[in-house]
Amino acid sequence: MADKRDFHQVDNYTWELPTSYREDMRVPVRLFADSDLFSAAFGDRSIEQLVNTATLPGIVKYAMALPDVHQGYGFPIGGVAGIDADDGVISPGGVGYDINCGVRLLASHVDAEEIEPFREDLMSALYQSCPSGLGGDGRVRVNKSELDNLLGNGASWALKQGLARKEDIEHTEEHGNLPGADPGQVSERAKERGLSQVGSLGSGNHFLELDVIQEIYNPDVASALDLRKGQIVVQIHCGSRGFGHQVCDDYVKSLQSAVKKYDIYLPNRQLVCAPIDSPEGRSYYGAMACAVNYAFVNRQVLAMGVREAFERVLVGKVSDFDLHQVYDVAHNIAKFEEHTVDGGRKKLCVHRKGATRCFPPGHEAVPAAYRDVGQPVLVPGSMGTASYVLVGQQKAMDLTFGSSCHGAGRTMSRTQARKEVWGHDLREELEAGGITVRATSMKGLAEEAPLAYKDVSRVVETVHSLGLAHKVAKLKPLGVVKG
Amino acid sequence: MLADAALVCYDTIVNRDRFKEIEHTADIAIQVWGSDLPELFVNAAYGMACQVTDAQDVDVAVERRIDVEGEDLEIVMVEWLGELLYLGERDGLVFTEFDILEVTSRGLRAVVHGGPVETYHGHIKAVTFSELEITRTDNGYETTIVFDV
Repeated sequence: MADKRDFHQVDNYTWELPTSYREDMRVPVRLFADSDLFSAAFGDRSIEQLVNTATLPGIVKYAMALPDVHQGYGFPIGGVAGIDADDGVISPGGVGYDINCGVRLLASHVDAEEIEPFREDLMSALYQSCPSGLGGDGRVRVNKSELDNLLGNGASWALKQGLARKEDIEHTEEHGNLPGADPGQVSERAKERGLSQVGSLGSGNHFLELDVIQEIYNPDVASALDLRKGQIVVQIHCGSRGFGHQVCDDYVKSLQSAVKKYDIYLPNRQLVCAPIDSPEGRSYYGAMACAVNYAFVNRQVLAMGVREAFERVLVGKVSDFDLHQVYDVAHNIAKFEEHTVDGGRKKLCVHRKGATRCFPPGHEAVPAAYRDVGQPVLVPGSMGTASYVLVGQQKAMDLTFGSSCHGAGRTMSRTQARKEVWGHDLREELEAGGITVRATSMKGLAEEAPLAYKDVSRVVETVHSLGLAHKVAKLKPLGVVKG
Repeated sequence: MLADAALVCYDTIVNRDRFKEIEHTADIAIQVWGSDLPELFVNAAYGMACQVTDAQDVDVAVERRIDVEGEDLEIVMVEWLGELLYLGERDGLVFTEFDILEVTSRGLRAVVHGGPVETYHGHIKAVTFSELEITRTDNGYETTIVFDV
């Protein structure tokens, strides 16, 4: 097990473990963190998992972790790996079960004071309009042929169904439609699970949150994103539900034989992978892209539910309550991108597991409206604490293949959180602090208690100081819907 | 004390011999024991049920047959638990009693019993291979299983 002395400090926020640490490492490990967050990373098996990631065939530069890193399975959460698309591998374990878990931010033009008299009603309406909890059905049920259409076209399918606005799609990573999605690579069981869950939050750490913008750090950039102090916004955090879980499950099992077939050495079976340029690798990518699209549609349909709830409660009472989409960003995904490696351009399969893409100003993948300021990066805090909006910077292209943190990052197990926090007490505490709570499970609420997480402000400060992404706005929660 | 009461399922003496929860920052991990392979697979399934509900309170009313294949014991374990999760989610059931008819490194056949559950206290998305290694001990078999939640 590595300890701090095995690392050398590159600068204030960069720590490197050389390949001499373990002979199976193909590249060094880099951890981006301030000194306290660096120390915190040794509290679980994050570093060991990052070292394992550094052994993957085709990995270039470094196996990287962002300051919100914590133990996962296979890759650590908060991990980034750029893998050579020509001779490297793609790993379902590097994406995770909740494929394209991500965050969407919607913004109104209403001030917090205007909705205050209706806040309780609004939270109840959001709870009704956005199904949450275990297994539950979503807002939309599709048949098998519609599902194939949805999987192949992502948010474009939603637009045709009247479930999206054109500008929603323009402000979604990949326009809500990852190229290469192939429904033919998805099992019948995954499809069966996908039929009923379109437009549902699910459980675990997923949530829907009503926030007010508490602070603006950069007025010019905030203005470009149409954000201002006092404004009401909504965050939606969820993924591809049972569909994505099944896709990952199917391929984690089926690629076990590919590992043997291609004679790939793995220090941990959950890192299971296949060459990108192989029938097995192409098959996984085609299926994963379907799950990515499913998640984009899922958040899109929920966004329409949020708009419906706002209208039901606020029409005739306040004006300008309509919600426009600021951005939607994935944080569990593998994508083909071009990056600079050893002075040349290289096509990589960038695995981001609990990490957010954060492209800089001028990048062609950034929506036209934001091209001068950079791609919005949405960083939700733990329940009841602040969240942040940042914009990507060039430094991220240089250091992290255009990646940034995705949240606060856990520090405490769910078991421990349940021992230390009682769900009903937490609910009362949050409500005493001015946060309305709608939750299906008090146990689930306790597991997501703020004390189980790192300080999101510290994580964001690290990313800002490193120059990966710059702070734009801080969000304060007013209400939360938890599955 | 109230919080401890909620964890009674994991703390009874009977369960302690079958499985125990171990610390994992983001997900759920259990360590499982069995005097032989069938017992290990039964205890793993029961340990999983305890993560989502009060397993001892499930009114066992439904029977299902399970037949899974694999290339080694670990794959068979992931297939077995994954099949229980899938059937449970699809039909709104939790399985708590298990008769293993046959288990080898190539597959498992079983008859399982479960019932509908009013109150879930957790959700498992998937069974992972992380840290999963079925090993022989002086007393039988043991393994760790990490669930994605």
